[in-house]
Amino acid sequence: MKIAVSGKGGAGKTTISGTIARSLARSGHAVTAVDADVNPMLGISLGMGMDATERLAGIRQELSEGHADHDHEHEYTIDGLIERYGEDAPDGVRVVVASRVDMPDHGCLCCGVSADRLLREIEGTGRTVLGDLEAGVGVLTRMEPGNLDVVLVVANPTPKSIEVARRAVEACVAREIRVLVVANRVAGEEDLDAIRDVLGAHDIVVVPEDPVIRRADAEGVAAIDLDDRSPGVRAIIAISDRLAAEAVPQAA
Amino acid sequence: MSPATAVRPPLWPIDMPLEPRPGGPLWLAVAGKGGAGKSVVSGTLARILARRGHRVLAIDSDPMPGMAHSLGVPEPATPPLLLAAAEKPEHGPWRLKPRVGPMAVVRHYTTHAPDGIRLLQLGKADKDGLVPVNGAVSAFLQTVRRMHEARSLYEWAIVGDLPAGPRQPAAGFSPYARLYVVVVEPTSQSALTARRVARIARGPLGADVLFVASKVTGPYERRLVERLLGEPVDLVVPSDPAVADAERSLRAVIDAAPRSEVVHAVEELADIIQARTLEAA
Repeated sequence: MKIAVSGKGGAGKTTISGTIARSLARSGHAVTAVDADVNPMLGISLGMGMDATERLAGIRQELSEGHADHDHEHEYTIDGLIERYGEDAPDGVRVVVASRVDMPDHGCLCCGVSADRLLREIEGTGRTVLGDLEAGVGVLTRMEPGNLDVVLVVANPTPKSIEVARRAVEACVAREIRVLVVANRVAGEEDLDAIRDVLGAHDIVVVPEDPVIRRADAEGVAAIDLDDRSPGVRAIIAISDRLAAEAVPQAA
Repeated sequence: MSPATAVRPPLWPIDMPLEPRPGGPLWLAVAGKGGAGKSVVSGTLARILARRGHRVLAIDSDPMPGMAHSLGVPEPATPPLLLAAAEKPEHGPWRLKPRVGPMAVVRHYTTHAPDGIRLLQLGKADKDGLVPVNGAVSAFLQTVRRMHEARSLYEWAIVGDLPAGPRQPAAGFSPYARLYVVVVEPTSQSALTARRVARIARGPLGADVLFVASKVTGPYERRLVERLLGEPVDLVVPSDPAVADAERSLRAVIDAAPRSEVVHAVEELADIIQARTLEAA
């Protein structure tokens, strides 16, 4: 199964991606987490810590090595890249970073591995692929029907966040990709109503405002490691259980 | 890092040299993660420098609404004026019209803001998140990349407001900046973004960096930011309800609450920047 997580910057995409990846792995799924943001942060939410997150290689940048030998193109498969450049996060999640803008780029133009291409070509059979997308709707508009099985669209109860979520949902519907709206940081009925008013025609799951998640974000640790029974973390684990239940018929 | 050893960041334009260019001592850009408080710092800093007698060019390269509000000018509803400065030759990409240089752009294609500030804008996003007018974006990029040609601007202060993350500094949207003011909230993601911006600024861009911890509610959070960054911050901007109040009333915080804590903090930032500039000179 291939899942992507989309939404406005700061909506909570990375925290939700990291927690779902860990939760799926704990219940026995083989999980490959793809950080598709050029300012990659997924390692923190997976529980690797800030320094290990900072050491993750960007595939696009790494591929240029050996380019002095210009006689033949780099030969690679997507799985080969994940094996070579990915790292193991807690609970056995495999994490890869597509491209990072803060690392020197040696400019290998023949190996155009972008986040888009990685997400389109990575195989979702026999494992769960979880892509944490860059803020906004850019990547989604470059996907084709069949590239992704489900997109979690994260919305906070603010007008701008809801508007970005609405555009993401629109992009998914146009590509016949299933959408699950995640109403995040919901502190009451009013918050949920604001999201329902615009996105009520779609499946909505609620993640309540949770001081444990805020503390995890501040300290740079995984929320699931800090307290896996807090209301917000439990709500995200419930989303992963639901996705896992849906994935079973496909795998069979 | 010397130009010989500097390696291009991934998005740096292939035809643009990387070595730092000449420019004014007060040419700076404000960067950081989304929501860190970049626009409030940059808009307020521009106003304070203007009131201290500098001529100020404010540059907003964020396609989302931002600096106009914090400077205290209404967001223009019309497409960016800059389009009029660009032309599309039959063969080849959009460019600035011949004889339109950075100084002409500042004179004729900027918005007037309070205290005599001129505001240069990239243009605002349409519903697909794109700036609609290619020509205006090209004109904007050529203007910021040729800023060093305008010797009369060396006397000015430039205050740039960059959108979230390290993407724009790494892609050559702010090559004029000799100093990056990096704004950091007390969260791990904000700190990691700040480290990355600083690494690019100090490395390939050869610029100086100043860290501002923002939205800080107490000494614990200052220490948290410093621990997450791995180095000391130069200034703390406290969490201040005046910012949200000003935003709701659509006014600049320096107009709505001139004696607020946040404005005092940015005055201190202006002191630090002016002192560093004098030191360098």
